[in-house]
Amino acid sequence: MPEHDTLKVLLVDDEIVRAAMVEEALALDGHQVVCRLSSPASLNDMVQQHQPDVVIIDMESPDRDTLESMALLQRENPRPVVFFADQHDPESLKAAVKAGVSAYVVDGLAANRVKAVIDVAIARFEAFQGMRRDLDKARNQLADRKRIEQAKGLLMKHQSCDEEQAYRMLRKLAMDRGQRIAQVAQNVIDILKPLEKGS
Amino acid sequence: MSPSLSSDAASTSRTGAPHPPELASLTLGFVPLLDAALLIIAREGGFFAVQGVEVSLSRENAWSTLRDKVAAGLLDGAQMLAPMPLAMSLGLSRAPCDTLAAAVLSRQGNTLVLSRRLADAVGASVDNGEPGAFGAASELARRFKASLKEGTRPRLAMVYPYSCQHLLLRDWLARGDIDVDSEVELVALPPPRMVDALREGEIDGFCVGEPWGSLAQHRQVGRVVASGAELMPAHPEKVLGVTASWARRYPNTLSALLRALQAAALWLDKAPEARRQTLAWLALPPYLDEAVGHLDELPLEAAPGYPCIGERLRPLTADFEGLIQRLSPLLEARGRQLDTATLEECYSAVHYDAATHQYGADTP
Repeated sequence: MPEHDTLKVLLVDDEIVRAAMVEEALALDGHQVVCRLSSPASLNDMVQQHQPDVVIIDMESPDRDTLESMALLQRENPRPVVFFADQHDPESLKAAVKAGVSAYVVDGLAANRVKAVIDVAIARFEAFQGMRRDLDKARNQLADRKRIEQAKGLLMKHQSCDEEQAYRMLRKLAMDRGQRIAQVAQNVIDILKPLEKGS
Repeated sequence: MSPSLSSDAASTSRTGAPHPPELASLTLGFVPLLDAALLIIAREGGFFAVQGVEVSLSRENAWSTLRDKVAAGLLDGAQMLAPMPLAMSLGLSRAPCDTLAAAVLSRQGNTLVLSRRLADAVGASVDNGEPGAFGAASELARRFKASLKEGTRPRLAMVYPYSCQHLLLRDWLARGDIDVDSEVELVALPPPRMVDALREGEIDGFCVGEPWGSLAQHRQVGRVVASGAELMPAHPEKVLGVTASWARRYPNTLSALLRALQAAALWLDKAPEARRQTLAWLALPPYLDEAVGHLDELPLEAAPGYPCIGERLRPLTADFEGLIQRLSPLLEARGRQLDTATLEECYSAVHYDAATHQYGADTP
């Protein structure tokens, strides 16, 4: 990697795993990454101290307004940052917003030098989103299974039936109502659980 | 909300039913502030629903995030700081994106707060009553100047460079003959962070929309020394902002939103239970939650900024001129000149008039 392509990147992200993913990928490309996880201290000082060429920051970070105002408010700041947007490439900007990445660069830095860094960040943010979606799905499935088991148990007790019959009952209810079986299970729990306590 | 009001709004379309909205559901962004009230009323009170649109309100963490999501089409529109459509159209803080203010959502409603230590130093007390009732903003600014010590620069926060809060803060400092660049340090923070930042000593004062100023005073971390109502009476504060391309693509949806907002404003003004009910809605967790716990009733002068009903929602270019004039030094610092054409495109009543007059939707 030629020296002039090395950029100093400040990464502001409270999501530890994601920050690590982005940091690793950028370091592999030969960039110098300063990572900053949490935000109470002055972001201003951080920029002053590290003089980054690029700041990658979580789109949802409340620190964005602070970072963004620096360029306008502090004229003596030797490192003014501007929101990175390649005006000839609106699609890539949209991709960044969708992935949850926002980036600020030193005013005057050529777009083509920064684009690779942004693209890496977008790819890692997207990968992280995918990971989280899968995790949420797995968690929901587990919760659904627990609900169905509980509903079956309640039905078995109240209808004096076996497990197989209780499951068929849930499935029939789900089909009749056009609902997911986990939803029906929740309804059953809502109705039968209070009776349990009362008895 | 009383159901009769909703059906009134629908049934008074005498000159023929309005065109149905192109979008059945959409999302508008907001920042937790009292002046998101009209959007929240229109949603919770069913005024959007009466117009045939299902509106979700998405709470945003920062003004820049809200702005970028609107520009990228992730939000259909949003509660915006009054100067924001112009700043977006001129491309002042990101790639240019033609944006317009379709309605005024609030006027004034900001407070300027100093930490208790600084408030003591300038002799501002809480006994003067309601926020902004001091009537002595200039005097306090002069005393603030006198209290400044060599070598220290109090850090004062506002919410966004292109905001009324920034302008108000500069206005107040100018009244005390205080040099913004050398005698204080200005930073931007999102509104919900202000009170904590003041308590933690990260900042020494701030200018922000309600309820955050009165909350700081209530929690005894700061005192209100001036209000927007005092410094710039009745200035447009928040607007409903949409991109010009969105407005072109979904004109009937925009009309539906505007009619709903007007109906919400009329309800807030007329219905006896409206202020109490609105505060109850604002206190719901997705909106302002416990940040309104110290208020007994919605202070109408702060949100939507009294009197802000009916025609006051109509965005007139002339109404914004004064505000934008004050902004021009900031524009010039970025090498931009203000032109009338852009100003008129950003702030014009054409969409509002098309929505509210065409069908006589709100004539009694």
